[in-house]
Amino acid sequence: MIVTKNLKKAFGDHMVLKGIDETIEKGEKVVVIGPSGSGKSTFLRCLNLLEVPTEGEIWFEDINITDSKENINLIRRKMGMVFQQFNLFPHLSVKQNITLAPVKLGIMTKEEADRKAMELLKRIGLTEKADAYPNQLSGGQKQRIAIIRSLAMNPDVMLFDEPTSALDPEMVGEVLDLMVQLAEEGMTMVVVTHEMQFAKKVGTRVLFMDEGKIVEQNTPDQFFDNPTHPRLKEFLSKVL
Amino acid sequence: MDKFITGIQNGYEVFIKGVQNIFEGFITWIIRIYESFYNALIPDQRYMAYLDGLKVTLLISFMAILLGIAIGVVVAILKVASSNYKIKWLTRICNIYINIIRGTPLMVQLLIIYNLIFNSRNTNELVIGAVCFGINSGAYVAEIIRAGIESIDKGQMEAGRSLGFNYIKTMRLIILPQAVKNILPALGNEFIVLIKETSVAGVIAVTDLTKAAQYVGSRTWDILPPLIIAALCYLVIVMGLSRLLSVFERRLSKGDRH
Repeated sequence: MIVTKNLKKAFGDHMVLKGIDETIEKGEKVVVIGPSGSGKSTFLRCLNLLEVPTEGEIWFEDINITDSKENINLIRRKMGMVFQQFNLFPHLSVKQNITLAPVKLGIMTKEEADRKAMELLKRIGLTEKADAYPNQLSGGQKQRIAIIRSLAMNPDVMLFDEPTSALDPEMVGEVLDLMVQLAEEGMTMVVVTHEMQFAKKVGTRVLFMDEGKIVEQNTPDQFFDNPTHPRLKEFLSKVL
Repeated sequence: MDKFITGIQNGYEVFIKGVQNIFEGFITWIIRIYESFYNALIPDQRYMAYLDGLKVTLLISFMAILLGIAIGVVVAILKVASSNYKIKWLTRICNIYINIIRGTPLMVQLLIIYNLIFNSRNTNELVIGAVCFGINSGAYVAEIIRAGIESIDKGQMEAGRSLGFNYIKTMRLIILPQAVKNILPALGNEFIVLIKETSVAGVIAVTDLTKAAQYVGSRTWDILPPLIIAALCYLVIVMGLSRLLSVFERRLSKGDRH
């Protein structure tokens, strides 16, 4: 579904991604872990061109999205993205946050989008917050609403950029639960996270990035029980 | 004893006379002021001169504000967008415009534009004035709006783009509505400055409020009253405008406090 070929990204002289060849199949739940500064967020942000790669190609559903002739705005509709800082729109109510994109991009009518929004809110148990504004919500509620905001676009893949890193510890669970649900429904997911338990439980494949490269990848069981690369062993010994 | 009483009586009379003099002086002063203001306003329907001048001032200000906003929004967005997409020449053009306008006096700009660009006989001075003030105001408005846009967290742009909005739609639907709250107070200030600065429009033969006051003063040989009348007019306009703006601000900030 997503293929990267020799993906490189440099900020000025600093090489953040040093050539990544990776294929993500439909239905996979790929978890990316690694020390900070290893380029894992940059890798994720390259996948929907929030960062434009310096070199290499990215293919999504057999379209070369790094080709400047392709309309990235159309492609991004099919790729949901969840941010560390939630990035809800503070000037809009919860329901408007969810319906803005489907309505303004002409994918749904106002009524359809409203119905869909209420459905999604019901699913996460926050229907009574439909007319609330983001700054009235807790961090966990904000992030769950950010997730369903992306889901309202019916994406084919969801990208998560450290979705629980900005949350208070007692709110991490509710967000991870929702992500587990999504995974069980068969959503293709790419998740950058520090939650090793989530990686073990949900991931179908775990990638370890270090210094702009994927140095090791495996199924969660093998990955955590039999790490081979010394950097990974060191990393796991620190975080587990 | 008698001497003492006459002394007091004399003193009393002197005192009363003094008070009377002061009082009479005060009255004649009031009457003189009244007369000079009367002369500045009523004979020959002079109040019409102020009203016509006021109309011109308001018209120039209004057109200049509209033009200033239009130029300001476009230049601000071009500047922000061109620095994001690294279109250096566009950034440079915007900067040149802003630097020239901010770096030269308004009256000089007014005279240059009037004499150089519109150097034909059948031009409408009022429109030239409005265009010139608009071009001038545009530079300031652009900087105010740019600062407002850049005050919005860049995660908002990323969130909008990741949902599939293009750059312009994200600006319009997500960034600008939030930026307006930061922009409005500074923008109101700019409008107030603009309205007051239109008082130099007289140099290109526009009879605005200030010019009208000077004209009346030259007729009555008494320049001060007309100028004070003009000043009061400006004061009323500006106070009305700032009242209006604070109502706007309060309404906008309603969405903030929950």
